[in-house]
Amino acid sequence: MMDWHAAQVSLTLAVLTAGLLLPVGLWLARWLATTHWAGRPLVEALLLLPLLLPPTVIGFYFLLLLGQGSTLGAWLAQHDVRLVFSMQGLLLVSWVVNVPFMVQPIQRAFAAVPTALREAAWVSGLGPWATFWRVELPLAWPGLVAGVALTMAHTLGEFGVVLMVGGNIPGETRTLSVAIYDRVQSFDLQGAHVMALALVAVSVLALTLVLAFDRQSQSQRKAQEPSL
Amino acid sequence: MSGLSVVLHSAAKIRLNAEFTCAPGELVALVGPSGSGKTSILRAVAGLWNLPGLQGHVRVHGRDWFASAHQVNLPPQARRAGLVFQHYALFPHMTAAANVALAADPQWRTQDITDLLDRMGLAGLGARKPTQLSGGQQQRVALARALVRVMPGAGARTDSGGVLLLDEPFSAVEPPPRLAMYRELAALRQQVAAPMLLVTHDLAEARRLADRVVILDAGETLQTGVPAHVFASPRNARVAELVGIQNHFQGQFHKSEPGWARLTWRSPAGGEVSFRVIDKNRIDEGKAVTWVLNGEFVEVQSASDHDPVHGVAGADNLLNCQIQEILSLGETSVCSMAPEALPSERITLQLPGQMVRRGQWQPGSRVRLSIAPQALHIMPLK
Repeated sequence: MMDWHAAQVSLTLAVLTAGLLLPVGLWLARWLATTHWAGRPLVEALLLLPLLLPPTVIGFYFLLLLGQGSTLGAWLAQHDVRLVFSMQGLLLVSWVVNVPFMVQPIQRAFAAVPTALREAAWVSGLGPWATFWRVELPLAWPGLVAGVALTMAHTLGEFGVVLMVGGNIPGETRTLSVAIYDRVQSFDLQGAHVMALALVAVSVLALTLVLAFDRQSQSQRKAQEPSL
Repeated sequence: MSGLSVVLHSAAKIRLNAEFTCAPGELVALVGPSGSGKTSILRAVAGLWNLPGLQGHVRVHGRDWFASAHQVNLPPQARRAGLVFQHYALFPHMTAAANVALAADPQWRTQDITDLLDRMGLAGLGARKPTQLSGGQQQRVALARALVRVMPGAGARTDSGGVLLLDEPFSAVEPPPRLAMYRELAALRQQVAAPMLLVTHDLAEARRLADRVVILDAGETLQTGVPAHVFASPRNARVAELVGIQNHFQGQFHKSEPGWARLTWRSPAGGEVSFRVIDKNRIDEGKAVTWVLNGEFVEVQSASDHDPVHGVAGADNLLNCQIQEILSLGETSVCSMAPEALPSERITLQLPGQMVRRGQWQPGSRVRLSIAPQALHIMPLK
C-alpha cells in the first residue's frame, strides 16, 4: 500500500528544501520588493524561469552541468561529492526549481507594506535592521507562511526533475510522486490511489493555508488605509 | 541660532527655491497647491527626501541636519523630527501605546507613555490597535508618537533640538471634528517649545492655526509673513491668486503729483475708470499692474440719479455700481456688483445684512462705493 520510505524521502526533501530556501528567499524577496534598481525585472524573470521551463529541461541541464562528463561534475567526483542520483543532488535541484514558489509570496507581502510605515519607523529612530524586525517582518509574515507552504507542497508533487536528477533509488531518491508512477506502471492502482490521495490532501491543505493567510494580510492592509 | 532654518535650492529635475525660518514654539504653515513642493520640503527636513544635487541647509538649533557645503546629510534616525504623516502611518500590528513607545527615548517609562496618552484624550485606549480607534483617536496617537520624538523625557519641554512636522494632518478628517482638533492643536502648542511646520493646502486652516505662513508655488517661496498681512497684501498676482483673494483686477499705474498716482482700470470689453491711489514708489511709471480691492475700506450707500458714474471726493474714490446678485448668509450678505462704467467687471463685497435690508437693495439696485486709498493694494504683475 503506502510506500513509507518514499513518503519519508518526500517529506525530508520538502522540509529541507523549504528550510534551506527560506533565508535566501526572504533576503531576495525583501530586496526585490524595495529596490529601485533598473535590472530588477531581469532578475525577476530569471527567478520565474523554473515555472515556465518543463522540469525535464531543468533536469537535463542539471545532468549536463553536474554529471561526471562535465568539468564541474568530474571535479566534484574527485572530492567525493556525487550530486547525480543522490539526495544531495535532489535537494540542490529542488532548491532551484522552488525559488519562485518561495520568493513570490514573500515579495508580494513586503511590497504591500506601505512605504509610509517604513518612513514612520525611520523618523521614530529605528534603523533599517530594527525597522525590518519590528515593522516589516511582523506585517509580512503571512507571506513567509505562504512561501513555505507552497514550496513544501510543490516539492512533494515534483516529478520530472526528481526522475531526471534523482533517478528512482528506493529509500534514497524515490519520492511519493515517483512511487505513484511506479505503481501505475506495475498496475497496482490501489497503491497508487492511496498515495495520490495523500498528495491531494496535502496540497489542498497547503493552498487553504496560503489563501487564509493571504486574506488575513489583506484585511490588515485595508485597515491601514484610512477610510476617505 | 535657535529654531529651524531651511534653505533649499535645486536646479535639477525638480526645481526648488525655498527659504524660511521657524522659531522655537512657532507654528509656520507651508501653503501651496499640490505640486508646489510643500510636502517635499517637509520630507527634506525629516531626512526622507534626498534629491541629488540639492543645495542649501536644514539647520535646527544651530546643528546642521543637512548642509550641502559640508556634505552633511543626517539619516532620519539621527534627526529629531516628530512627523505626523498625512494618513498617520500608525503601525497596524502594534497597540496605540506601543506605537508611541517605539519612538520614545529610553528615559520614557511605560507609565509616562500612559500619562501622555491620558493627557491627549486617549485614556484607557493605550491597549487598542489602530483599527479599533476612530480617525480622530488615530490622529492623536500619531501626534503623541511625533511628540515623544521631540521630548527627551516625560517631564521635559520639547526643546531637545527637535522639530514637529505635520503633513496635512487634518485632511482625512470630516469638518466638524476638525474644528475640535484645531482647538486641541492650539492647546497643545502651549506645551511645545519645538519649531512646528504644518503643511496644508487649506488656506483657512493656515490662517487659523499658523503664526506665519510661507506661500509656495512650483517649489518657490513666494511670500512669508503673518497670515493677516499675507492675505491682505499679497506680494504679487500669483500670491493673490493662490490665497484666493476676491476682487483681483488688472490695471495700469501712472504717477501724478508727489506721493500720489493714478490707477487705470480698463475692461477688455471697453470702458475705463481711474482711481487716485497712494504712490509708495515701489512701482514704475506706466507699468501694467494687478490690484486688489480690500472690502474693509469700502463704504457702500444707495446711489442717486445725479451722481457722476465715478469720481473723487476728498481722498476717496467714488464708483457707482449696479447690484447683480445678493446671497444672504444671515448676518452678512455677499453682494456681487458691476461698475456702471465697466459693466463686464464684477466686484464682490460682504455687507452687513442689516445694511442691505435698510437700503432695500436687490439685483438691479444702484449703489455708490466710496473707496479709501488704502483699500487699493497694487502689485507688480509678476
